[in-house]
Amino acid sequence: MSKSATMPQADVAVAVAHPEDDARRPSVLLLLAREPSACFALVTVVAVLLAGLFAPWLAPGDPYGGDLANMLKPPDTTDLLGTDGQGRDMITRLLYGLRTTLFMGFTSVIFGCGIGGVIGFAAAYYTRVSGILMRLMDVLLSFPAILFGLAIAAIFGPGLTSVIIALSIASVPLMARVVRGAAIVVLQQDYVESARSLGMSDARLILKHLLPNSLSSIFVFVTLRFGQVILLGAALSFIGLGAQPPTAELGAMASEGRDFLFFAPHVSVLPSLLIFIVVLAFNVLGDALRDALDPKLHK
Amino acid sequence: MTKPLLELKGIKKLYPVRKGLIIQKQIGTVRAVDGVSFRLMPGETLSVVGESGCGKSTTARLAMRLIEPSEGTIHYDGQDITHAPRAELRRLRREMQIIFQDPYASLNPRMTVEEIIAEPMVVHNVGDNASRRDRVRELLRLVDLAPYHASRYPHEFSGGQRQRIGIARALSVSPRLIVCDEPVSALDVSIQAQIINLLKDLQQEFGLTYLFISHGLAVVKHVSDRVAVMYLGQVVETADKATLYANPRHPYTQALLAAAPEPDPTRRSAGRTLGGDIPSPLNPPSGCRFHTRCPLAQPRCSAEIPALREIGAGHLAACHFAETVPDFTRFRDGYGIRPRLQARLDLYARKRDAVASAIQ
Repeated sequence: MSKSATMPQADVAVAVAHPEDDARRPSVLLLLAREPSACFALVTVVAVLLAGLFAPWLAPGDPYGGDLANMLKPPDTTDLLGTDGQGRDMITRLLYGLRTTLFMGFTSVIFGCGIGGVIGFAAAYYTRVSGILMRLMDVLLSFPAILFGLAIAAIFGPGLTSVIIALSIASVPLMARVVRGAAIVVLQQDYVESARSLGMSDARLILKHLLPNSLSSIFVFVTLRFGQVILLGAALSFIGLGAQPPTAELGAMASEGRDFLFFAPHVSVLPSLLIFIVVLAFNVLGDALRDALDPKLHK
Repeated sequence: MTKPLLELKGIKKLYPVRKGLIIQKQIGTVRAVDGVSFRLMPGETLSVVGESGCGKSTTARLAMRLIEPSEGTIHYDGQDITHAPRAELRRLRREMQIIFQDPYASLNPRMTVEEIIAEPMVVHNVGDNASRRDRVRELLRLVDLAPYHASRYPHEFSGGQRQRIGIARALSVSPRLIVCDEPVSALDVSIQAQIINLLKDLQQEFGLTYLFISHGLAVVKHVSDRVAVMYLGQVVETADKATLYANPRHPYTQALLAAAPEPDPTRRSAGRTLGGDIPSPLNPPSGCRFHTRCPLAQPRCSAEIPALREIGAGHLAACHFAETVPDFTRFRDGYGIRPRLQARLDLYARKRDAVASAIQ
């Protein structure tokens, strides 16, 4: 036998144990199910999303119709979680509040991180515009999110839309920085040069090579940012620039309850607890998803 | 006479070095590649050899127009592609492929082997999904991998296997020219031989032309037809393989040959290797660029730039004293075996004889 024909076999032998075209790659969902904390987070996130989505059907009462005779009732058998300062059922308020808060969080993260992501990739890939784009981001970065909230509320009037716009703008420079950093690392890899040497379009290169490989740090940031945005939104509502009464929003509800904190703590504590659970679940799920999406960590 | 497939004429790549935050002043130029010319005939393998930082990889990328040259022209198949527009480059990209040095970095970790190998076909609209699938399996067999490897991810393979995947990817669109950028220097010596043999077999089967980049002369001895030795952005010697290895005329080529590991201890020289580092391409030495490290340097070498001139049939060297440089074999044998090594070898021989006679 010739030398070159025999030699490669040692190299191949390692893999002979699986002689079939393998269908052994588990789905992302299955990988998530293996991790108890991820499982818990996934269930929580799904439950929270469904609750928010179907709030009008799930809610036992009217979120806006007050009943002052029954205000600030502690949890009991008729109102499972009690009533708030206007005598509105807390379960109903929480469901509607969740709906508003999730909507606010998602839209501002989608807009903010979407625009920030595009700017970040552009700055990493087109070095010519990198300087000017990132200096612009630095300018945005120098204003705190609350200040954007104030400015936008002054222009459009306080309300949910203003909060969403403000939080989107505040997310853009952060996302752009994270994405640019991640993309620059990926751009130095040989497989990007190899992709270039094939003469593929910039769009394909960015979508097929740059994006999937910078995803892990982006993923962590987006889930973290989602939690931050909800908290910032709550803060803006707290100072009266966010969702206006009688709109139910978890942050606004927490702030409304502060007057009765000593004799009816549930009015503040329940929405705060819900914010805590939502933010935690999204962060844990984000981490787990990042690991599950990385083929290197599959076993 | 056949036309060269690829011809580089006086290719230069100069990187300006700027200083200043807003008003940038050019304070110097890195002469990464400084006037390189060579021809690559269809079906042959030209190796470009030199130590780190000599511009060999840059030259390869310039030849593929992955980097834009500052000066000079590139002809591919008789056609000037120095300023070819994007659309035309795209067509050329199909005929020129590249294999990278680091098999761990050159495959996208998020793509399966199938996607990686099929990607050039997708980009160049070759075939449909079904035919690409078949082609991927055919290519895997061709590089001694198995069809079931297609659904795996790169991290599940060893370095040698990954390099095979890289080769399969390069072959997928049936290129004419493959640039091999140190394809084996990141691999174990045992795997190096396999990959080199594979490359040779594929060349024979498909009539490929290779531009083979390497940092050592030992590796390319087996694959090359011709060798070009580069030093500090310039070609210092080029010749066909037999001539270059038997009769190197440039002191740098001789030093490179002497630096190659020699498995036979009796033939090892007394460690005559070059001292010092490669000088900065930002400020290359005057005259002959090699004079700062040349063991045979004369006053003339620092004053006058030696031209790359023909000193034999197809043998070019850039040394003022190319004809009079001591013959390489004598140059090396002059050192002979070191006394201590000779003593040890004698000791082994005595022991061996003693054992042999004891057995009898």
